[in-house]
Amino acid sequence: MEEEIAEATGKPLPLSGIRVIDVGTFLAGPYAASIMGEFGAEVLKVEYPVGGDPMRRFGIQATHGDATLAWLSEARNKRSVTIDLRRPKGVEIFIKLVSKSDVVIENFRPGTMEQWGLGWDVLSRDHPGLIMLRVSGYGQTGPYRRRPGFAHIAHAIGGLSYLAGFPGESPVVPGTAPLGDYMSSLYGVIGVMLALRHKAKTGEGQIIDIGIYEAVFRHLDELAAAYGMFGMVREREGAGSFVAVPHGHFRTKDEKWVAIACTTDRMFERLSDAMERPQLASGNLYGPQRKRLAARDEVNAIVSEWTLSLTRDELLERCIAREVPIGKVNSIADIFEDEHFRARGNLAEIEEEGVGKVVVPNVVPTLSETPGRISNLGPRLGNATYEVMRDILELSASEIAKLRQQKII
Amino acid sequence: MSQQAAEEKLPLSGIRVIDVATMIAAPYCACILGEFGAEVLKVEHPSGGDLCRNFGTATSRGDTLAWFSEARNKKSVTIDLHHPEGANLFKALVAKTDIVCENFRPGTLERWGLGWELLQEINPRLIMLRVSGYGQTGPYKDRPGFARIAHAVGGLAYVAGMPKGTPVTPGSTTLGDYLSGLYGCVGVLFALHYRDQTGKGQYIDTALYESVFRCTDELAPAYAMFGIVGERHGPHLGTACPYGHFPTKDGKWVAIACTTDKLFARLAESMGRPELASTSLYGEQKTRLENRHDVNEIVRDWCGSLSRDQILQRCHATGAPAGPLNNIADIFGDRQFHARRNLVAIDDEDLHETVIVPNVLPRLSKTPGRIKHLGPRLGQHTDEVLKELVGLSQEEIADLRARRII
Repeated sequence: MEEEIAEATGKPLPLSGIRVIDVGTFLAGPYAASIMGEFGAEVLKVEYPVGGDPMRRFGIQATHGDATLAWLSEARNKRSVTIDLRRPKGVEIFIKLVSKSDVVIENFRPGTMEQWGLGWDVLSRDHPGLIMLRVSGYGQTGPYRRRPGFAHIAHAIGGLSYLAGFPGESPVVPGTAPLGDYMSSLYGVIGVMLALRHKAKTGEGQIIDIGIYEAVFRHLDELAAAYGMFGMVREREGAGSFVAVPHGHFRTKDEKWVAIACTTDRMFERLSDAMERPQLASGNLYGPQRKRLAARDEVNAIVSEWTLSLTRDELLERCIAREVPIGKVNSIADIFEDEHFRARGNLAEIEEEGVGKVVVPNVVPTLSETPGRISNLGPRLGNATYEVMRDILELSASEIAKLRQQKII
Repeated sequence: MSQQAAEEKLPLSGIRVIDVATMIAAPYCACILGEFGAEVLKVEHPSGGDLCRNFGTATSRGDTLAWFSEARNKKSVTIDLHHPEGANLFKALVAKTDIVCENFRPGTLERWGLGWELLQEINPRLIMLRVSGYGQTGPYKDRPGFARIAHAVGGLAYVAGMPKGTPVTPGSTTLGDYLSGLYGCVGVLFALHYRDQTGKGQYIDTALYESVFRCTDELAPAYAMFGIVGERHGPHLGTACPYGHFPTKDGKWVAIACTTDKLFARLAESMGRPELASTSLYGEQKTRLENRHDVNEIVRDWCGSLSRDQILQRCHATGAPAGPLNNIADIFGDRQFHARRNLVAIDDEDLHETVIVPNVLPRLSKTPGRIKHLGPRLGQHTDEVLKELVGLSQEEIADLRARRII
């Protein structure tokens, strides 16, 4: 293999030589392409010539340029190519581009690609090694497959939203709105890498089919098994958890919040020490988890009274000295101040032409020999159309000009 | 196709993984690798084993349901790594292994003489996934970390809950474990791809809090550029309206998400009030966000006037994005879950019961994963593995067992 060395890290990129076409919109699927791009794949973002991916307009607009911050951050490392897939000539160009690529990522409503003449059968006819990642709200099969699906709906269908919030109150968003989009994309990358391995052995490509709701549902530990065996329906747990006490968020004297998680009895013993009330962890009081679960409200009240008597920093200091699992409930402002985020380089400051300085979450995960890197933020619409038409599809300047004039690209 | 041929066709057939981790984070990576054909050896402490065996609701065998579900396809091998002889057995296994997954606090394996440098010397092609609360570097690396703490540190818990109310658990306390398992698995597969071409191994360093923080959308760039601190919005979203959870007449909830004007127009049509989507009223996202109170009120009134099924039926007729807030009982009755076989009933021979667990993800058309069996008994495969891979005799195994090294 010809190793491509990343300028930023001086180390090889594991996915160099792989070409990915990302024809999706928003995040579920396209984030899979972003991760692959971080590790060296060439990612071509195929967009509608007028306006492109609606994610360019979703959320908070950057001060300069015509893109939102979410676009700049999550369309990182991609190059934008405009093609109108609703027109036959556009379809023809797209098929040619696919024939020179390894992976296609799409997230239209099932049936849409087929309607345009771009279904699996067509795309794989002369390209049996093609790998196609298809992400949609409900997957390619089943009675709901045609319904529009977004992460918010997937969190609800998948059973996560029902669990977020206080008992008897309104269920809330489980943290961030696109969580399910990230999750389904991670499964997408895993599927693509497994498929690439199969292709290396056999030459055979395949389809990866993911419903966003499935990715959400896969992450609910014993929820299904406990209902299946005991008929237990888990309800909202507020700031706590059914598995352990104290395990939740607690208010501090300076009106901030800390998270404490005493998953085991030993952890509770350490907490009792930190509280200077070691007797709490005795066998006849709250030593065993079973007793703490039975006296959930009492235990939480005792911990809460203690946390309210100290500042967040004091609590952290005392707990960390005794190895109690504790953390600040960080706002984004706290995160920017946090020395650990700085030491790990979790915030990447990227200077982008025409936009200025943008701070985005850095690449995850960290690989020792072949780390990823951010080479550019979300591109301008069509910034690579000309190059791709000329270099990959080998069209002449006049052919490209004609296509552009006809608004096909 | 025979079963053996089917197994050999799996993309990770021939790959051996040692999962010496606990709970769900790094073990979930091993779980996915196992679903797609890798042989996974779960190395556990001889007394009690993985903490996940005690996590949540217990079965008649003692091990919990979470264990049965998430330790699927693994073989349990007990080895006491604190003991030098145990550490040597582990090294003998590592020599014949492709991937090691661990999630001890940084420095623990090194203390036992099983750090990366040493293991890599034994096996230069080794890939090692290291997951911990805070990662292998940085000032907090030695602190204990759990998903609960990672949700807090990573900024997810802060934005979950009602405005100015107590931050809540973002749905499930184990979310960050699964996310780290996924990022870990991505890293391992990238490393395997690289190794397939160059023969070189490496390690992957993933922190629970980082995996969580990576999924926070525009939170970081918006703070850096405008000083906007993302706050809790309850069931709603700061950048789209109507977007949230609305109670229905029959005491249930629906989720509605109009992220674009087109989607709002469909909702207005479902409500029988298409005029709401005119530009002079609420046709534009900007206007809806300025009048979010009124818009949410209108949607809330409508949802409160109909049953959940009626709301969903009307929304699906126009393509307006809506869905039920399913609890697990709803999910067991949901046609889509059945059609996609998202729930799979596995008869466990050892437990003499059937356990229903979430099926394999992602779904591959030519090489789909499978669940061969659920979480094993502690030490169920110790003898088999030590005989076949380390070449120990029955007597040697008995001796190690008597001395509680295995």
